[in-house]
Amino acid sequence: MDFNPCMKHQLVRKTVREFAETEIRPHVAQLDREGRFPTEIVEKMGPLNYFGLQVPKHLGGAGLDTISYAIAIEELSRVSASLGLCVTVHNSVGVYPILAFGTDEQINRFVPELASGRHIGAFCLTEANAGSDAGGVETTARKTEDGYTINGTKIFVTNGGVCDVVLVFAVDEASDQGRKSKPAANVFVVEKTCPGFSVGEIEDLCGMRANPVSSLFFEDCEIPETNLLGKPGQGLKIGLTALDTGRIGIAAQALGIAQAAFEDALSYAKERQQFNSPLSKFQTIQNYLADMSTSIDASRLLLYRAAAAKDSGGAFSAEASMAKLHCSATARTVTDLAVQIHGGYGYSKEYDVERYFRDAKVTQIYEGTSEIQKMVIARHLLTQPS
Amino acid sequence: MLNIIVCIKQVPMVSELPWNSKTGTLKRELAQGMMDPSSRLALEAGLRLKQDPKTEDQDIKISALSMGPPMAEEVLHQAVSLGADQGVLLTDRRMAGADTCLTSLILGEYIRKFEPETDLVLCGSQTSDSETAQVGPQLACELDMPAIGWASDIRLCGKSVTVERHVDDFLETLEMDLPGLVTIDQAAFAPRYATLGGVADAFETPRVRIVDAETLGLDKTFNALKDSPTRILDVYSPTTQKENRVMKGAAKTVVDQLFKEYGKIISSAMGKDLKK
Repeated sequence: MDFNPCMKHQLVRKTVREFAETEIRPHVAQLDREGRFPTEIVEKMGPLNYFGLQVPKHLGGAGLDTISYAIAIEELSRVSASLGLCVTVHNSVGVYPILAFGTDEQINRFVPELASGRHIGAFCLTEANAGSDAGGVETTARKTEDGYTINGTKIFVTNGGVCDVVLVFAVDEASDQGRKSKPAANVFVVEKTCPGFSVGEIEDLCGMRANPVSSLFFEDCEIPETNLLGKPGQGLKIGLTALDTGRIGIAAQALGIAQAAFEDALSYAKERQQFNSPLSKFQTIQNYLADMSTSIDASRLLLYRAAAAKDSGGAFSAEASMAKLHCSATARTVTDLAVQIHGGYGYSKEYDVERYFRDAKVTQIYEGTSEIQKMVIARHLLTQPS
Repeated sequence: MLNIIVCIKQVPMVSELPWNSKTGTLKRELAQGMMDPSSRLALEAGLRLKQDPKTEDQDIKISALSMGPPMAEEVLHQAVSLGADQGVLLTDRRMAGADTCLTSLILGEYIRKFEPETDLVLCGSQTSDSETAQVGPQLACELDMPAIGWASDIRLCGKSVTVERHVDDFLETLEMDLPGLVTIDQAAFAPRYATLGGVADAFETPRVRIVDAETLGLDKTFNALKDSPTRILDVYSPTTQKENRVMKGAAKTVVDQLFKEYGKIISSAMGKDLKK
């Protein structure tokens, strides 16, 4: 068992960090203030393979393993959680399900444009009455002669405002009529050019403000039959698989936020003088720093274990949930302590920790709340042979 | 086929330098390595020559060459991820501690023995850690090649290169027959970012070769640390000492005191003798 990162993973980290520090860092505070999605930065990231991290090379991707993927998201999020979010959602729940469940025709039609970053992907499950409970989805798909007609509204869609291709979770309208059993669910690939598709206002959120999170409307949205992903009725399986993969990405994002907050707090604690002494000389602050660092290290180990489990080809659902649960909790506590160490300055937009603090919270909510992660973990424990 | 060798050094990462504040020296064992920025520009120059549409019909092979500890292998993988065709690391305990003279000798020995068909050697003008600017010119001497230093632009014309460089307020254009060596100025180009697919490629088909002292055919008694003619006696972080003094009292008294104590500095700054 080797806990040291291999040379490849070190180089992935350095490569992403160099790009993020040079091209993103100088603009990140302004993007947050303006709530603006940086198309100009995304255009630079496309040719560097950020939008096809695990897409095979012949489809225009980088063909990286999952640990490299996690490192890339961690490093992007260390500088900009909003861009980290854009990239992880695009890769994990936008592109991956097409690769895993799509036909050759669908893969060749959608993936190269997505992998190049010319098209941005999104995934929408959440609705006004359905979030943690996927069974509450009310968006319907009706089979027509030529394909399907989708009706419904999805909310809080990451990348929603800029998406070109979106995976839509909908229930079969026919199977929903007058039955008590759960209707069959399907996932459809909807292109923004499909008639009846429209984008709502960008949400005014607490954090992740440079990501255009929005509602998406499907009003008699007509899509061809060839845009059904997987087999009919396979929607729940596709959704759960996508979320397992997505959780590794969100765990990595949370870890990146925590790492950034810790670095700033450590640096500030060494510089800031109170009572004629740097803050770092006080035992209370030392305890904070020790707790932060320990949580971050534990998070990183859980995350890489989940990523390695996915690469090994076995089940990784529980590992991904544990990583997501712990990394997001770490992001919350570490950013909280980072603000505390900064004192009044930490509450000011002049310091980045204020943004980290706002960005961290949602990592405990999206891609499955912490409560849902515990359900997944417990279900895994209780179904294991004793 | 045109063979280009780019010399690359791994240097401590400037932003992550762990300094020992008591001794003012760098804790090299804790320093993270990175590709020397100047070497990276030399690689960029080579990659631009390779991708220049004007040299499309010319088959160009770029080899990244480094001498350093085993951990320096990383910068060669990085060079491959950026577009080099292969990397070679010269590493051995007996090569450790080489000064610029022996570094040039060892690099030259490798090129003579293993890459005798080399047409062009590219180096950074000076590395970010020691800034001697000596290895490039010394390596040209070792290889008995002509050399041009501090190039800001380089173009290939068959078996010669046209090089531009800034000299004072002039732009100098030089032509040199190959084989030859060129060092690239630090402000010459903006280096490219590696693609993540490039990073994956660099490790999928390993293209970095490790060469030790024995393979290189160095004399068994060779020991770079002992044999180097120059010694680094000290490396330290320069410290600036600032002191604020508040002079109190009546204006005339304070001004008189000011000129009495700091008159020379003030005169020097103003460029005239205040006593006159």
